[in-house]
Amino acid sequence: MDAIVLDHVARRFGAVHAVSDVSLSVRPGEIMGFLGTNGAGKTTTIKMLLGFLAPDTGRVRVFGADPADPRARARIGYMPETACYYPYLNIRELLNFYGELCGMTAAAIRARADRLIPQVGLAGAGGRLLRHYSKGMLQRAGIAQALLHDPDLLILDEPLTGLDPLARIQFRDLIRSLHDQGKTVFFSSHELSEAELICDRVAILKEGRLVWLGACGEIAGDGGRNLERIFLNLLTRTESEAHP
Amino acid sequence: MNACLRQLAALCGLSLRELFRRKDVWVVLALGLLILAPLAELKPYGIGGASRHLHEIALLLIWVASAFIAIGVAGRQFPPEFEHRTIHPMLAKPASRTTLLVGKYLGAWSASALATGSFYLLYGLFAGVKMDLWFPPVFIQAFVLHVGFLTVVTAFSMLGSFCVTPAANLTVSGIVVGGMFAFGEHLEEMTAGHPAPIRALAWLADAIAPHVEFFDLRRRVIHEWGPVGADVAAAVMLYAVVYAVACLAITGWLFRRRTC
Repeated sequence: MDAIVLDHVARRFGAVHAVSDVSLSVRPGEIMGFLGTNGAGKTTTIKMLLGFLAPDTGRVRVFGADPADPRARARIGYMPETACYYPYLNIRELLNFYGELCGMTAAAIRARADRLIPQVGLAGAGGRLLRHYSKGMLQRAGIAQALLHDPDLLILDEPLTGLDPLARIQFRDLIRSLHDQGKTVFFSSHELSEAELICDRVAILKEGRLVWLGACGEIAGDGGRNLERIFLNLLTRTESEAHP
Repeated sequence: MNACLRQLAALCGLSLRELFRRKDVWVVLALGLLILAPLAELKPYGIGGASRHLHEIALLLIWVASAFIAIGVAGRQFPPEFEHRTIHPMLAKPASRTTLLVGKYLGAWSASALATGSFYLLYGLFAGVKMDLWFPPVFIQAFVLHVGFLTVVTAFSMLGSFCVTPAANLTVSGIVVGGMFAFGEHLEEMTAGHPAPIRALAWLADAIAPHVEFFDLRRRVIHEWGPVGADVAAAVMLYAVVYAVACLAITGWLFRRRTC
């Protein structure tokens, strides 16, 4: 069974077609990069994958289930684009709260938090309230809460935003270790070189339409510039077709 | 513990933690001291009428402070979550929107009840020390019905938070609750001689607005009349539960329709 299935999915906001007839599937254990310019429809697609939004037409399935069903979401870990969490909590309290929302026991949350907090590089900030965290630290907290309940599928919306170079390397290693554990990762990004380094496959979205879907192995090498070239070609081609 | 109960406890705990961490507890303490101020003037063997007057002021302050806290706390459960997008990681967890709503409601309700309980405790201790009136049954009943009032007001304010802006909700809820508290029981007689459209509006307000005046036992406490019958108290509490459930059902419908 595929981890993610988007079957002719479309979503409109008034007159704006945010997502138009997108179909793709992500196999279990695969790392899929979801690329596109600002306003391409990446976040709308992710919201449909999480059940926040219902598609106008088409079908969305996560491990065969409708993501609007809370039981389906038990297998998803989500890190939002904007890292905003409760400023009056510290990282342990935040993880406790989300762990309880996931139905985890206090002992399980504690054990998981003991592993995750150093893993995401927040060991030294345990007692500090989140209001005193930098943007990068909040991103790390976001990764920790997404991984807390050991989900089978990770959906990450622009996870590299605000991360310093060291944190990016740590993030890449973390994604690879999750891949080795058989987890599925679906992440949206603007960082083409990072996507080419991390992902098994990449999907490119342009104005709500899926314009390219391919394996990174086919275009590997050249320090991520191959994907950059494909990306730019697609954008210029569609723009020149739109404005000849 | 059942997973759903754990989720409700987590949401409720978050609201209570917020009350302490955002230093709102100092506001509660300041209001408590304000309530105690008139009672400090109470003297044993003093003039009965004057004592009753001071009791009345203190109890009115408890009601005003409690309504203010309930409307404020309930009204800010969801709008900041949408504004700061903290709602997204919460919605992504395996908890239904109904659970999130009920958990947040219980959090606002328990935070308001805790603050009101501390006002009543201070008031009861002061009245006990000053007048040797140690928590008479009518006083306990007044507190229980006050919690019923909070049940209604928190649900009403939470519903308002999905309909209008936070500032407008605070104003509208304050006016409705204050208006019903002051004029709720006189609505029919006030509009008796007026034209039909005004009477129809009054009838509509009578049917829709929360009848917070049902929960007010201040006069009984002040004049030491004793508690109301158990059947009356039970009926009033049933009204509170039915009204809150109706408000939460509409809020839940709005929440499910809301694009996040």
